[in-house]
Amino acid sequence: MSFAAIRDKVRAGEPLSLADGVALYEHPNFIEVGTLANEVRERLHGDRTFFNRNMHINATNVCEASCMFCSFARLKVGDEGAYTMTHEEAWGRLRARVAAADAITEIHIVNGLHPGLPFDYYTELLAGLKRIQPAIHLKAFTAVEIFYYAKKYGMSVAEVLTRLRTAGLDSIPGGGAEIFAPRVRKKICDDKCTADEWLDVHRTAHQMGLRSNCTMLYGTIETVEERVDHMLRLRALQDETGGFQTFIPLAFHPDNNALMKLPAPTGVEDLRTYAVARLMLHNIPHIKAYWIMLGVKTAQTALWFGADDLDGTVQEERIYHMAGAETPQVMSPAEIVRIIRNAGRTPVERDTLYNVVAEGAALASDKPFRRDVRRSLEVVS
Amino acid sequence: MTKKKIAAVSFLNARPITYGLEHGLGDDRFDLSFELPSRCAELLERGEVDLGLVPSASYAAASGELRIVPGIAIAGFGPVRTVLLVGEVPWSEMKAIALDGASRSSAMLLRLLCKERGLTPRFREVPHDEVLDAVAETTGALVIGDAGFAAATRFPHTVDLGAAWRELTGLPFVYAVWAGRPGAVGPEDVAILQESLAQGLAARATIARAWSEAHGGDPADYERYLQRDIRYQLGAEELSGLSAFFDRARGAGLLPRAVRPRLFEARPRIAPVAPGAASRSIDSLLADAASGKRLTPDDALRLYADAPTLELGAAADARRQALHPDGEVTYIIDRNVNYTNVCVTRCKFCNFYRPPTNKTDGYVLSREQLAQKFQETVDLGGVQILLQGGLNPKLPIGWYEDLFRWMKANFPLAIHGLSPEEIRYIAEIENMSIRQVIERLIAAGLDSIPGGGAEILDDEIRYQISPLKCSTDTWLDVMREGHGLGLRTTATMVFGFGEQPRHVVSHFERLRALQDETSGFTAFICWPFQAEGTRLKLRDDTTAMRYLRVFALARLYLDNFPSLQVSWPTMGPEVGQVALRFGGNDFGSAMIEENVVSQAGAIFKLGADDIERYIRAAGFVPRRRNMRYERLAVA
Repeated sequence: MSFAAIRDKVRAGEPLSLADGVALYEHPNFIEVGTLANEVRERLHGDRTFFNRNMHINATNVCEASCMFCSFARLKVGDEGAYTMTHEEAWGRLRARVAAADAITEIHIVNGLHPGLPFDYYTELLAGLKRIQPAIHLKAFTAVEIFYYAKKYGMSVAEVLTRLRTAGLDSIPGGGAEIFAPRVRKKICDDKCTADEWLDVHRTAHQMGLRSNCTMLYGTIETVEERVDHMLRLRALQDETGGFQTFIPLAFHPDNNALMKLPAPTGVEDLRTYAVARLMLHNIPHIKAYWIMLGVKTAQTALWFGADDLDGTVQEERIYHMAGAETPQVMSPAEIVRIIRNAGRTPVERDTLYNVVAEGAALASDKPFRRDVRRSLEVVS
Repeated sequence: MTKKKIAAVSFLNARPITYGLEHGLGDDRFDLSFELPSRCAELLERGEVDLGLVPSASYAAASGELRIVPGIAIAGFGPVRTVLLVGEVPWSEMKAIALDGASRSSAMLLRLLCKERGLTPRFREVPHDEVLDAVAETTGALVIGDAGFAAATRFPHTVDLGAAWRELTGLPFVYAVWAGRPGAVGPEDVAILQESLAQGLAARATIARAWSEAHGGDPADYERYLQRDIRYQLGAEELSGLSAFFDRARGAGLLPRAVRPRLFEARPRIAPVAPGAASRSIDSLLADAASGKRLTPDDALRLYADAPTLELGAAADARRQALHPDGEVTYIIDRNVNYTNVCVTRCKFCNFYRPPTNKTDGYVLSREQLAQKFQETVDLGGVQILLQGGLNPKLPIGWYEDLFRWMKANFPLAIHGLSPEEIRYIAEIENMSIRQVIERLIAAGLDSIPGGGAEILDDEIRYQISPLKCSTDTWLDVMREGHGLGLRTTATMVFGFGEQPRHVVSHFERLRALQDETSGFTAFICWPFQAEGTRLKLRDDTTAMRYLRVFALARLYLDNFPSLQVSWPTMGPEVGQVALRFGGNDFGSAMIEENVVSQAGAIFKLGADDIERYIRAAGFVPRRRNMRYERLAVA
């Protein structure tokens, strides 16, 4: 399929095939792919670019699974660097933000698969956070964790989700999807649930009315076909439920893990993946450039390659930083607004469910350079 | 006024150069005659003509110092069809080669290429008309000029020397230039000679037809030759080719001394301003820019303000593709050595310098420290030292001369050293002219000048951020002198000092105008100001998107700069990769150390393997180069 034929399909709103996706990955000029993705992005969102104010809590890094790409997990309690927060510690993080009058709207909670904690640990964690800040949105536990709880505590996935929701769960993050292809999963994350199990957790959540995100880990040993296949499986579930809000491609970071020999994906591969995702996943509304992982410069550039979301202010991210990420661990809302404006886009602060929190003059303000340009043009002419 | 005597060549490939002169241009100034190339050189050598269209080898071998008319050459990039080695046996089996007595450059090129291949045939000079008759058994012949058209099909073995040179260096070859004694022609004369060529280039079809009528042969074939095989610009890449030829010939013992292409003074060509430009749409501006039409300052300001980012990038990418159609992206292995941090300038944006009054942290690197850095560079495959430092009042010119001579005697490294500001400062403390300083540094071993310290070439901004640094005019003067003395230099720009777009465009305009005069710049490099830790508290946009827009605009505006280098050390390799699709064709240096930027917060480090991986992942073929942009073979 030629690039021009793919462009025609995109413009006609036809879903792209596996072969189309592979052709987009292999097209020699990634700017052309980006331009087409940008067309779709602007059709869906114009210049609007979303971010939120959030914080991360990784309550424990003790994890039964030994995924080769992970620098975060420790196998056992007592291993060097292993930690498990008490409830008070976890709640204390939120109390500190509330005390600082920091208007966060979301807490993102992702943890290791800890073999020694009771299920109550998780429900009480959520309930306590809600007691401190009832309006806060709790986006917590990947499908992998939920599936693990179901098996470990002898419940169905639906039962786990129901009990977590009762305790305060509002939506599910997209992590743990990695790559769906069994060949890759077996090699890099054999201890995790299968693709079908991962998808089934999200299906169940969607059917219960919970929204969720979805991800793809790229840059380990997967092929281009396996990446596109991964996107197509997400697209199929989305056709069924419509419950995904955002797709987040996650680049593999090679420091301090069992795949250290592999080079990290380069910037062009990152941007191309964003663009291909935007083109393949026509039914998922948002594509997020997770700046913690990409670096601020590439994340900003991705706003022209299909992405319309920069994630949030984030605080205390640990998973990517233990894998060598050199990005800061927090950005202020004013910084995010400035980066978006400097990219020639329009910043919109959202909540987790993409309701608008603030836009226009209500946002933390900074001058974009393009406005300066016009002023100086007046001086010249 | 006495007319100046000028001697040109009667071959077809020289016709466009003299076309205007033959049609009345400069009648009152020049007395034009036609000779064989070697004869032109003889007349010039004997002082019987003021200016000759001479083989580049004759320029190099002349007993007295010569100057070259800027902007004009007979050159080629790859096969040229009229400089052929022919024979009954392959090149490697030739025991003797007859050289065309009319040729100088081609003969030296052939000798050089034989040496580079380890071949040692005997060479014998024969008259121009008899050269083909000399071919027999293991005796080949070097055929030049129009005889080459016929010879190409007569012999079983032919080698196009233009193609062989390109294969060796990746550069164009310059066969002939206008040359004369210093002062033989002035800027007015140069302008007329350039105009003569411009008229000739426009009349190539007519020239081909007339040639066919007079000498037989297919006029379409002649026109193809004039349009495609011969390049008439003495542009930056041709100057790189010329420098490479002289250096290699010197290395092979074919030239008795080091020679550089030194230029007559020219005046800037005035950019034509399209009437009614202000009313044009952004789309048509972008299309024009993408097709290589020269931008006016107003065009550039409009594109910068209103062109969508990816479209600006695509236009710059189209220019990159037109200028570098081979899809190669070059890089160099060198080391940035900051020989001293003592500096009197006190620029607000610099956190590297120590004033001379600081007795604890100021340093001048010792020979031992330098030797270690240089040896490490050699061991890592480095070919060059980027040598820059502060303006240290304790270092006289003799210190630099000794250093350069010692470096050249002990390390196989090119010296890309001393930015214009440093050169100006040496001139100041030594009470010498800038030209004298550069001449002495060249004699001591200086190979090229880095384009640092340009910041924004607009005095309004310079005065605000570095009031003690040289003015825009001085910076450009140092570069002009350097180019005139045969040095190649780069040019830089640092933005994000709160300047307006008109300052950025004015920077581009000044560089483009000087490049029109000299063609001495090899590459342009820009990056956003790295503010961390400096005294300059600024809140300007230094994000990736602004970098990419400025960079793309530079590619479109600087139409006479062959290379645009991406700045991965400041922007990160990811954005560096993206910039390769926003007009970049060079990935800069696999850097071993860089004190100035790294102290201000940039932390990226890449080795040659990483650089090659990034280049490949962006869809290009990596090629290692030196400062002349010669492609280097990598073991």
